[in-house]
Amino acid sequence: MLTELGFVVLAGIKFGALYALAALGLVVVHKATKTVNFAHGAFAMLGAFASFLIVVNWHWPYWAAYLLIPWAIGLIAAAMESAILRPLRRADMFTVVIATVFLGIAISEGFRLTYNTELLAVPSLFAGPPFIVAGVLITRDTLWVIAGALAAALACIALFSYGRFGRGMRAMAANIRGAQLCGYSIDRVYMLAWFLGGGLAGLTGVLIAPVTGVSIDLSIAIITAGFVAGVIGGFDSPKGAIVGGLLLGIAESVSAAYVSSAMKNCVSFLLLFLVLMWRPQGMFPERSGRSV
Amino acid sequence: MSDRRPDLAALGPALLIILCAAVGLRLDSYPQYVIAVAIISMLVGTALVVLVGLARCITLASGSIMAIGAYVSTLAVAQLRVPYLGTLALAILAGGAGGWVIAFLGTRFRGHNLAMVTLVFQSVSIILIRESRWLTGGAEGIHVPAPEIFGLAIATDRAFLIMIGIAVAVMTLIVTILVRGPFGKNLQAASGNEIAAEAFGVSVRGYLTAAFVVSSIAIAFAGALLAPRVRILDPDSFGVLESIFMLAYPIVGGMHAVWGGLIGGGGLRILPELLRPVADYQELFFATLVIFVVMFFPGGLTELIRRVVASKVKPTPPALAPVPAVPAAPTDRDETGPGGHELLLVESVDKHFDALHAVNDASLRVPARAIHGLIGPNGAGKTSLFNILSGFLAADAGRVTFAGTSLLELRPRDRIRLGITRTFQNVAVFGQLSCLDNVIIGLGRNAVLHAMGASFDHFARGAATRGAQRAALAALESVGLAAQAYSRAGSLSLGDQRRLELARAIVYHPRLILLDEPVSGLAESETEDLRELLLRINAERGIAMLVVEHNIPFVSRLCRSLSVMGGGRIVAEGKPADVISLPVVQQLYFGEQATS
Amino acid sequence: MPSLDICSATRPAVALAAGIGLLTLAFGAPAQENGITPSEISIGAIGALTGPLAFIGTPGRDSMMLAFDEINAKGGVCGRKLRLDFEHASSPAESVAAVKKLVEQDKVFILVLASGSTGAAAAADYVRQVGVPTYNLYGSTPIIREPFAKNVFHGAVVPVQVSAAALISMFYDGEYTPKKFGILAGTYAFPQATLKAAQDILGQKGATFTVEQFDIGARDFTSQLVSLQRQSVDSVLVLGSFSEAGFAIKQAREMGMANVRWVVDGSAVSTAIIPILGNADGIRGYYNAPAFPGQTPATREFEARLKKQLGSMPQGRPSVYDLIGYGSGYVVAEAIGATNCQLTRDNLINAWSNLKDAGPTRLDGLDITFPESYSPTDHQGVYRIGAAIVKDGQWQVYRVIDKP
Repeated sequence: MLTELGFVVLAGIKFGALYALAALGLVVVHKATKTVNFAHGAFAMLGAFASFLIVVNWHWPYWAAYLLIPWAIGLIAAAMESAILRPLRRADMFTVVIATVFLGIAISEGFRLTYNTELLAVPSLFAGPPFIVAGVLITRDTLWVIAGALAAALACIALFSYGRFGRGMRAMAANIRGAQLCGYSIDRVYMLAWFLGGGLAGLTGVLIAPVTGVSIDLSIAIITAGFVAGVIGGFDSPKGAIVGGLLLGIAESVSAAYVSSAMKNCVSFLLLFLVLMWRPQGMFPERSGRSV
Repeated sequence: MSDRRPDLAALGPALLIILCAAVGLRLDSYPQYVIAVAIISMLVGTALVVLVGLARCITLASGSIMAIGAYVSTLAVAQLRVPYLGTLALAILAGGAGGWVIAFLGTRFRGHNLAMVTLVFQSVSIILIRESRWLTGGAEGIHVPAPEIFGLAIATDRAFLIMIGIAVAVMTLIVTILVRGPFGKNLQAASGNEIAAEAFGVSVRGYLTAAFVVSSIAIAFAGALLAPRVRILDPDSFGVLESIFMLAYPIVGGMHAVWGGLIGGGGLRILPELLRPVADYQELFFATLVIFVVMFFPGGLTELIRRVVASKVKPTPPALAPVPAVPAAPTDRDETGPGGHELLLVESVDKHFDALHAVNDASLRVPARAIHGLIGPNGAGKTSLFNILSGFLAADAGRVTFAGTSLLELRPRDRIRLGITRTFQNVAVFGQLSCLDNVIIGLGRNAVLHAMGASFDHFARGAATRGAQRAALAALESVGLAAQAYSRAGSLSLGDQRRLELARAIVYHPRLILLDEPVSGLAESETEDLRELLLRINAERGIAMLVVEHNIPFVSRLCRSLSVMGGGRIVAEGKPADVISLPVVQQLYFGEQATS
Repeated sequence: MPSLDICSATRPAVALAAGIGLLTLAFGAPAQENGITPSEISIGAIGALTGPLAFIGTPGRDSMMLAFDEINAKGGVCGRKLRLDFEHASSPAESVAAVKKLVEQDKVFILVLASGSTGAAAAADYVRQVGVPTYNLYGSTPIIREPFAKNVFHGAVVPVQVSAAALISMFYDGEYTPKKFGILAGTYAFPQATLKAAQDILGQKGATFTVEQFDIGARDFTSQLVSLQRQSVDSVLVLGSFSEAGFAIKQAREMGMANVRWVVDGSAVSTAIIPILGNADGIRGYYNAPAFPGQTPATREFEARLKKQLGSMPQGRPSVYDLIGYGSGYVVAEAIGATNCQLTRDNLINAWSNLKDAGPTRLDGLDITFPESYSPTDHQGVYRIGAAIVKDGQWQVYRVIDKP
């Protein structure tokens, strides 16, 4: 019974770590630009596809994928930002949401047209026997995904809190005019935020590719999970993203096991709904000033 | 523009639909099918214009609402043997209920969170439909029987086209009337500037809920009409992706007018038929089109067409109806409360913000027909007190009575009934509405159901509508803006916008206007003009005023009495000349070294 | 507002003009009566070329086209070339639109349904009303087949009762005795219909079984597998696509579920499942053709021809949908020929209803499908189904199951 629970919770943590990384990408962009990038899932899918190309098609070593892909996807994301989002900077939120949503769809469709296949399988990173802890089998891959995702997330948080550009992003989010007066350039900070968000998306893709394979519905799955995790954790809090992601993953897994396996998707939405009703600003809200 | 002719322009969209159907009748059955489906999408587009364009709510639930309409209608025909027309009514009810549920759960939020609530509704609805195999056939779907109306089977494409054309035209006409009348105007006000809307009796949550209900009714109706055409209902046809694609209708067509919904809905629905040779690239084309429109044609196709046409055609200024004389202030009203001449009585009001004692035992009184000022340096607590009086902030202690009625328990939007209106420090006109419409909102008859009825009256140019327009024009005349009556409020200069705010505040014949820094940002000459305007209004209409201001010369030449606030307390009160020279007041403004 | 009133007259005019212009573009002159011209016979088809069901429609189109090309190269049928008019359609709405266009506007002679489930069901509903000869290639769900219609013919894909029976029988192959069954089924149309049939059969056998379900596209089966493990199942039937089945089995192995006999639905019997698992040996499933691509010289030749046609071979192909599409193209040609070139719809329906052992071999095509036989009361062309197993990293059909 406990072993069962162990399996279930482990699966929840594995996916939860991936959701956390996805949510972090969204939070980074939102913190700097006050917009949610709905194309984030499509970027992650591109990252997964790129890892298929690198590992399966070109037979390069796996570490090359981890090294190159986040940069590549980050660059693509930054390019999209200056091409499409910059002209829309003054537009209202609805327009920006629509633009990113359809950007995601366009990217997914573009991928499908170039590689029309239902699923591309990507091999696991590690072969070798799994570890056994209290009767629960933990594959090396699972450990890698969990450790890798969480480590990347923590590194990103550190960068955001202490790096110069991280400060710039937070300053810009708090007060655009003030930040500009202090010498931060909107264009650079926004592009950098998207670069960072895109890099996280790419990394998410590389990590998730062996777990789920590369397919077009990866993009929807990731943006949905990332968004829900972001709402749960609070869209302005990087550590909220991690907590939200883990919470979502575990809740999904546990409820699928003990309530109903067919309603798995339902659970994430119900969780989202509960959070909205009770704590709409998320678990770690940004402390806002009193408005008089 | 003649006063008495009904609003024929409102018939336009419905006529276009009839025209499309008429054109279709002369074509073969396949084009008839396509046109019928396109007409249904026009209705969806119209509904989304109301929700997305006017109410500014992002909704991802259109697919599920359409599913609700389709399934309810089909199940009622198949299982309960309800006649088809009856099932249309059931679909409408079900859709309205769905929209109400979404609004109930979601309208406490705005923006992303509201979109999330709609996403939850969408996903959970589809999952429930898919899981209820015993009822809905689950993922395999159910067969939709051919409809029968009064014994006539609707089986040919021609018959469907006629039925759909008529049904959609009627529903579109109703929605268009609502949009063009006070309901649509109030909805735009509610989503444009919530605080100003509430101050004039427009319940923001009420209107957003109504927007959800109205649009859901139309979308569910569309679903019920579509069901027999697609023959098999399956839950996957109504998923999130469908909702997202339907959002493209108002975006590409234009979000701010019913035409946009028509053009976007009809055009985008026909697109897959035109793209048959390149069916592979359909979704990519669609997505790219939307991005393109959003980037380069922000108002959608209707905005593009409007700009093209407007640049060719010069609008002729309307013949204004003769302006009636400014009505004398009614003398039969009881100007004074039980407390003698006091209209507004503020007693010992207290407000804390954590450790900050923002308002400390403040009292003041405003007699009927008086002009009373409230001054004090920044941080003195004026704005807090002002917000308490206008209902946007709750007091911790004290009493505020207006002609005997306590104000503290009243919501902001109930103040207008008592005769209290206000202006705002950051000018809060409804930018996308005309000046005339702005002022009409000031009349305060803005309950949702009333506004819906008034929209039909507006369509028929009934007496109530004409009366409201006359009163609004009179108010505009008295502030000197009659010539701008039909201009967009957002295009006015700041000075004119402040006048507009004033016109909106006086049209109701209130007993008290709360003015929040009315000359902030104005040049010297404009300040003078506004001062004279206020004096004239006070003299002619007998309206009392409470003015919060920083501009001391302005205040001392406008107000007959002043209260001075410092550090949350009222430190002085009396005639301007006396009060300003008091040492305590000098010290407030100039510090310890002040020499009197 | 003044500009609005003036515009309000011109705006509908502009919109209408644009609309009419678009309409006349789309709806060109309709084709000849009944799809027969002196030089051509036009065959219409619908199927998903994009979206989640594209793995059915695209091979259907490609291979049927290959078949028609071969037939046309040998002179065609009744002195006319066969022309394939393939329209993309997936959902019911798209399917109805597509078949209306093909039947009413393009006036095709025969309609082929190369789509699955709900789209095909909507189209079938329409064609029952209209009476055009219709050939259902891939739809296995009951809603497409009921009620019986004399103009609808069902080809290589068997009804779910037959495929479910085949699946269950594979658990007993090789002297294996299943003790406890588990079924892992997707909640969408395809698997649900098979699930129902399988439950009926297992119920009749008196076997104990437990059912777990998953959403379409699921990749994490921990909860379902944990439940199966808890019940100590040793025989699991997976009803889903190759990606779902692949990841489920992979995860089951990672969770330590060894000694389980896996039998998967036909849509998972594809080369694409093998890279997901690495070692897929021992997994069984049914196959709607007598041999897997590469297993016989005929299928190898087919693969070569298809590769030449497409330029490159996409991953996972040729799939069973390719084989069926090719064979079905030949069946269509044979049915047309059986009218003695009296090319009317009624003659075609009569001829088709009496077709026996139709397939590529009679017209010198490659023998890669089960022959199809029809009767006036039974329009199911094939009842045979292959049992396949992965051996040495390759799928092969090891047994042909005749009509139970």
